[in-house]
Amino acid sequence: MTKTKNVRHHVVIGSGVAGSQAAETLREREPDARVTILTLSSLLFYNRYDLPKVFRGHRDWREFLAFPAEYYKDHRIEVRRCSRVAGVDGSRRTIALEHKEEIRFDTLLVASGGRGYIPEELADFRPLMHPFSSYTEAVTAAGVVPERGHVIMLGGDMIGLDLARTLVDTRHRVTLVAGPQTFWPHEVDEDERPGLIAALEKMGVEVVEAADAGGIASIEQGARGLSARRVLFKDGTELYGDVVMPFFGLSPSVEFMLGSGTDIERGLLVNPALRTTGEGIYAAGDVCQIWSDAEKRYRFFYGWKNVRAMGELAARNITGGDEPWVPVQDEKLRIDGQGKLQSPFWEYE
Amino acid sequence: MATDIQISIVGSAGDGTIAAGEILRNALAGMGYKVISFDVYPPEIRGFGKCIARMRITTEQAYSLKHKSDVLVSLDDSHAIAHANEVRDCGAVIYEQGSIVRLPEGGHMSAHIGPGQLPYPLPIRELSEKSTGANRSRNIVVLGFIAGLFNLPAEGFRKAIGKKFRNKAAAVEASEAAFKAGLDYAAKTFKLDDVSFGPPVATVVAGATVEMINGNAAIVRGALDAGIDTFFGYPITPATSIMERLASEMPKRGGRLLQTEDEISAISAVIGAGFAGARAATSTSGPGLSLMAEMLGMGVIGEVPAVLFVSQRGGPSTGMPTKTEQSDLHMAVYGGHGDAPRIVIAPTNVDGCYRCAGKAFEMAEAYQTPVIVLIDLYLSNRYETVVFPARPPFEADLNRRPGKQAAGAQYKRYALGGDDISPRAVPGEKGGMHVVTGLEHNELGRPNDSAELHAAMSRKRHEKLKLALNHPDFTKFKRFGDEGPVDVGVMSWGSNFGECLEAMLKARAEGIRCAAMKVVMLSPFPTEGVASFMADCREVLVPELNYQGQFANLLQANIARPVTRLDRVPGEPMKVEEILEEIRRLAGNKAAQKAA
Repeated sequence: MTKTKNVRHHVVIGSGVAGSQAAETLREREPDARVTILTLSSLLFYNRYDLPKVFRGHRDWREFLAFPAEYYKDHRIEVRRCSRVAGVDGSRRTIALEHKEEIRFDTLLVASGGRGYIPEELADFRPLMHPFSSYTEAVTAAGVVPERGHVIMLGGDMIGLDLARTLVDTRHRVTLVAGPQTFWPHEVDEDERPGLIAALEKMGVEVVEAADAGGIASIEQGARGLSARRVLFKDGTELYGDVVMPFFGLSPSVEFMLGSGTDIERGLLVNPALRTTGEGIYAAGDVCQIWSDAEKRYRFFYGWKNVRAMGELAARNITGGDEPWVPVQDEKLRIDGQGKLQSPFWEYE
Repeated sequence: MATDIQISIVGSAGDGTIAAGEILRNALAGMGYKVISFDVYPPEIRGFGKCIARMRITTEQAYSLKHKSDVLVSLDDSHAIAHANEVRDCGAVIYEQGSIVRLPEGGHMSAHIGPGQLPYPLPIRELSEKSTGANRSRNIVVLGFIAGLFNLPAEGFRKAIGKKFRNKAAAVEASEAAFKAGLDYAAKTFKLDDVSFGPPVATVVAGATVEMINGNAAIVRGALDAGIDTFFGYPITPATSIMERLASEMPKRGGRLLQTEDEISAISAVIGAGFAGARAATSTSGPGLSLMAEMLGMGVIGEVPAVLFVSQRGGPSTGMPTKTEQSDLHMAVYGGHGDAPRIVIAPTNVDGCYRCAGKAFEMAEAYQTPVIVLIDLYLSNRYETVVFPARPPFEADLNRRPGKQAAGAQYKRYALGGDDISPRAVPGEKGGMHVVTGLEHNELGRPNDSAELHAAMSRKRHEKLKLALNHPDFTKFKRFGDEGPVDVGVMSWGSNFGECLEAMLKARAEGIRCAAMKVVMLSPFPTEGVASFMADCREVLVPELNYQGQFANLLQANIARPVTRLDRVPGEPMKVEEILEEIRRLAGNKAAQKAA
């Protein structure tokens, strides 16, 4: 950690695509400024979109890092890992970390992303599920699925379906327990859904509509000598698998911003320049809802390209710019010529 | 897979830092790893000074600590933060995740972990309190975490804990609970670092025993194995534990130990005991050696066997009592009034402490003179895995007795001629009546200050010591590395040699032709052998832990050729990389010379 007087201190909460892009842009635009990333992760920025590779045998975290350690040294970007933010005081421009350290900022970019959402009725079964939103979760999940094992996927958001493609490709059996969050964050019309489900099945994914079985009643340990997990439906039917993985979309990580002086709905509300209502506080990525003049509402924008562009735009506006947000990727879920799903949210560089 | 891992535990006095280090190194040594360990602690008896327990665990023989640690454990961030940059990339930093007090910006370890290092925040305090009802076992929680994270057998740790707290059932119970808490926490922790222990390689030598021991303890063992029967001393850091251990061991063997009122009394009593025929010794540090200097002269002129174990620390005066330094070499070799030669030997590792301690008694008897075994705090407190022979390699009695005197002949305690070693009678020995005095004397020991006699006796006192250069079964110096001509020769002595040897080996691995020599016998100086080595070296590098370059001075007083000095006084061991850099620079001189 370096302390220098009379230079601006830009703090970024979150080390994902948006946060990391923002830090790089901040460094480029203000070479003398102090740039600090606060992250819960114990690893430097890695590409979450690469995580399905763990099922192809790639388990070493070094393969997932977007940049080597030297990048941060060379760019003089401080990365505070394993640092949980307890609160932000917008008026004092301070961040309280859970370990009772206080950090002062001149500008703050909140790019804390989202965590995997679990519906309330399934919350009690959390210990029996294997989430897939971080490197450690991904490797842990891959470690418990045997070769050609059976993965029960709940929900089926696009992160999960991206994983499903790899699982099928690596000869695993995938059963999707579909529900309202299937295809999230794509907004899918009712009449489109059967075709998309059929495309999933064509890809090799077995689909069970949860609603047809009255919904999930419980998730339990599998019987001894059989599969490790059992999903019991309300109509009495059941599914056995080696692992149960929840994919119900993301819930923005904003609790620490309560009381910060910023407006929050589901995410942090920002104007088209990505400014929150708090002085000097910006937001980017999956955590923010951007005002759309066209739609006359605050809305989320997803996808690797969009998120990265948000990080860059926020950094530009923090350092004197005043540009509005313009989405950079389409959001349409398609079926390709082979009858398989294709999502722009699966695209990344 | 070869293991070479260095773990540093940093905390405040009272955190149990040193105790954690002791348990850890004993556990690992018990598993069969080789361990070199060195603890640093503050000079103040009370307070919150910095403590460091640092150890290197290997399967192959290592000679020093590494510059970078593989694992850093913080029991107190206020002290440990300064050491965060000593952890290598992909190494682990284990620290308390929370704080009970508000911290200023940068006051938490997480602010100082480099991008290449792997953070392991732990609720150390919470785990200790939940498992034992108190936060006193935070150090043991961390040991449990280390055992779990690195997949080390818990049983080895439990044995070491039991040994540490033997006869304290409550402490053992609490420690085992805290250890388990750390172990369980590790089971839930995702391991990211690349620190990995391979299987240990057991050291098996028929009839021998393998032990983890520090320099002072090795000296005690050497002294006991050599049959020490009398000890007088006055406590002083870092030599105190020599006296403490002897105090508990000597009475069991019929020996006698007395803590005298000061160092002058101690050395006086040792000289008296030596005169009486005992194998007698004292221990001290630099300030104590200053006080002993006068009586050392008495031992020299009286030709009385005496052994002094001297552990150096940072000076002058009270100086830095808990920091290491090699700055008493001048005093050990030359200190005192008059021409007062003495034998000075300096072991370079813990095994050497054992051997030098025992051999010192042999030499004191054989050459009838005081012998100084010169170590330093680094060696006193450094733990190493040592193989002890089944039978002590020391002679029990090397006295040259007067034997039966011819009828009417007077016993000449200080007889001139021959090999300059005179028969030595002890008080009460029939026919051995003689006078011992601090005054210059004749062959009978009676005062006499004639010029001729003083010259003859001075020559005798000096010349007889040269016999020590051929003392059997004792390594006076030793060469390592490349044979024949080399670009760089590294010469060193005492505790610093391990770092020099490591640096030399690394330089060789880089393709530099080089060698190293350790000089154990510093007085009398093994000029011939050392000069032969120096003649092989295009450049001679002399790294040592003092400001004046005292060993380089000694070298040049005996062998006239220029050397490159590397004198440092950091209060801690020299860094291998610093020596290596100098070797590289000197090796590069050749290319520069050729280019010129």
